[in-house]
Amino acid sequence: MAAVHDHDIAHAHDHHPTGLMRWLTSTNHKDIGTMYLWFSFIMFLTGGVMALTIRAELFQPGIQIVNPEFFNQLTTLHGLVMIFGAIMPAFVGFANWQVPMMIGAPDMAFARMNNWSFWLLPPAALLLLGSFFAPGGAPAGGWTIYPPLSVQMGMGMDMTIFAIHIMGASSIMGSINIITTILNMRAPGMTLMKMPLFVWTWLITAYLLVLVMPVLAGAVTMLLTDRNFGTNFFNAAGGGDPVMFQHIFWFFGHPEVYIMILPAFGIVSEIIPTFARKPLFGYSSMVYATASIAILSCIVWAHHMFTAGMPVTGQLFFMYATMLIAVPTGVKVFNWTATMWRGSMTFETPMLFAIGFIFLFTLGGFSGVVCAIVPIDIQVQDTYYVIAHFHYVLVSGALFAIFGGAYYWLPKWTGHMYDETLGKWHFWLSMFFFNLTFFVQHFLGLAGMPRRIPDYALQFADFNMISSIGAFGFGLSQLLFLYVVLKCIRGGAKASAEVWEGGKTLEWTLPSPAPYHSFETPPVIR
Amino acid sequence: MKEDNKQQPRGKFLQIAKAVFWAFFGVRKQSDLDSDASSLTPAQVIIGGLIGAALFVMTLVLVVKIVT
Ligand code: HEM
Ligand SMILES: [Cu+2]
Repeated sequence: MAAVHDHDIAHAHDHHPTGLMRWLTSTNHKDIGTMYLWFSFIMFLTGGVMALTIRAELFQPGIQIVNPEFFNQLTTLHGLVMIFGAIMPAFVGFANWQVPMMIGAPDMAFARMNNWSFWLLPPAALLLLGSFFAPGGAPAGGWTIYPPLSVQMGMGMDMTIFAIHIMGASSIMGSINIITTILNMRAPGMTLMKMPLFVWTWLITAYLLVLVMPVLAGAVTMLLTDRNFGTNFFNAAGGGDPVMFQHIFWFFGHPEVYIMILPAFGIVSEIIPTFARKPLFGYSSMVYATASIAILSCIVWAHHMFTAGMPVTGQLFFMYATMLIAVPTGVKVFNWTATMWRGSMTFETPMLFAIGFIFLFTLGGFSGVVCAIVPIDIQVQDTYYVIAHFHYVLVSGALFAIFGGAYYWLPKWTGHMYDETLGKWHFWLSMFFFNLTFFVQHFLGLAGMPRRIPDYALQFADFNMISSIGAFGFGLSQLLFLYVVLKCIRGGAKASAEVWEGGKTLEWTLPSPAPYHSFETPPVIR
Repeated sequence: MKEDNKQQPRGKFLQIAKAVFWAFFGVRKQSDLDSDASSLTPAQVIIGGLIGAALFVMTLVLVVKIVT
């Protein structure tokens, strides 16, 4: 340790630019990680404002606040912004900060490419959000951009296509970087099967990204040429097939949902052992299950298309395959529970979010299996039931894991403890308002309320009002998170190197805040 | 562990198949994992996994064909 430290002090004198240039030209994994996380948070608030506008409109039946065209633009952009702008960059931010520190590497493998991956994102976000101001407005056919609508829309759609291209390139470069870092830069003695689970889940996620992002790029490129260069890939009038788009899109789309949940599994698998003060139960099972989930996630895509017209053999195949994949996912839930079993648990904010994750993600998994049953899905497809399902896995799944991870590592990043009381408030408020918002949407969906519609029949009024109140509560609670983070950056109790007494991974051997350059001399791993 | 490396190709194949099967289920005994980790290469496991996925697909197709 001492050796590492001396080294860092020597390097504190090397000249790196300050001010804006520090961030623009940075090749430091910690700086880039910070930028990813702030970018993600800004996009989270942007997408959140859209969501609240949607919920304000749905507070009562009838059209009060926005016109239907704009409402559709909001639902579309809310989805795109949250997926590509908030959730995915947040996980890449975690990877930047944590992967090198957790495997004992000094930085990412391709430091300059890392800078480029990040700085591609702001222009992509500007294109995406700028589409609101294009003639005809932003795309309004849903985040899944199905033709024929996506072929017919104004140039906002082209801007979105370019934004997706750019973000895809950024993701692919980020993934190559992560894969190379993990495979080549581990400290001596850090064998693959000694890697922290967060590193494992990111390794597998990165492979998935490299596999499916080009598929999405292909799909949107075909859309682009259909729109502008007279091809007819998806235009039935010209001999094309709009359903083919759905197949290509979901061949990307289902692995994509796992891309958003596997790193969350990784974060939770770091938090639970720390606060239960026990090693992760079934580490090896977790690694194996994650890998097989990744492979199998590529053969279930058509469960999103049961009502698009499909032979019954196809429906049965995708129904069986989907339900079977829930098995390794379920095993993970058992592993986390077994890790807590008889542990000496404490309930700091990261642990609260991790337990909230397990509880609510499981609920989302169950509603997923319900959607996977063809006869039921024919009823609930395109209703609020699906909305409830995927918000349980994405908000109380991916997002809760992100919050948990942020609280878990903030002391390491800033050198200060966050305000535990406010952190707990943030958790309980999020927990309460999240369920208030989304639990009732199950009922709305089962009762037949369609998604992506600005008006609804009177019988849906009560639940919608409850849901809207919940949404505003949830949205406001997130400002508390912003406050806690800012407060933590500016000061607070000094964090020790270990921070949490149960933390066993390498980052806890570094001082807090982690020095700008860490592990320039690789640590020794027993 | 040295002996494992020299085991019969048949035994090796079986070990890969077992590792992949348990991985699909999501459970693996620690002792079995240790012997996997020391005697199987990542390439073997990945190829095994892809073959496993193909078999999984074919089995499901077969089941679906039978029931419809
Ligand atoms: C137990 C595992 C899961 C199963 C069985 C499952 C099943 C399904 C099914 C059948 C649908 C289609 C419903 C319909 O459109 O009628 C669906 C939609 C969706 N799922 Fe899941 N799911 C699971 C886990 C997840 C996870 C982990 C995520 C993300 C982190 C996720 C995100 C989504 C999203 C975003 C949609 C909606 C896509 C859209 O139409 O906009 N799911 N799920
Ligand atoms: Cu899916």
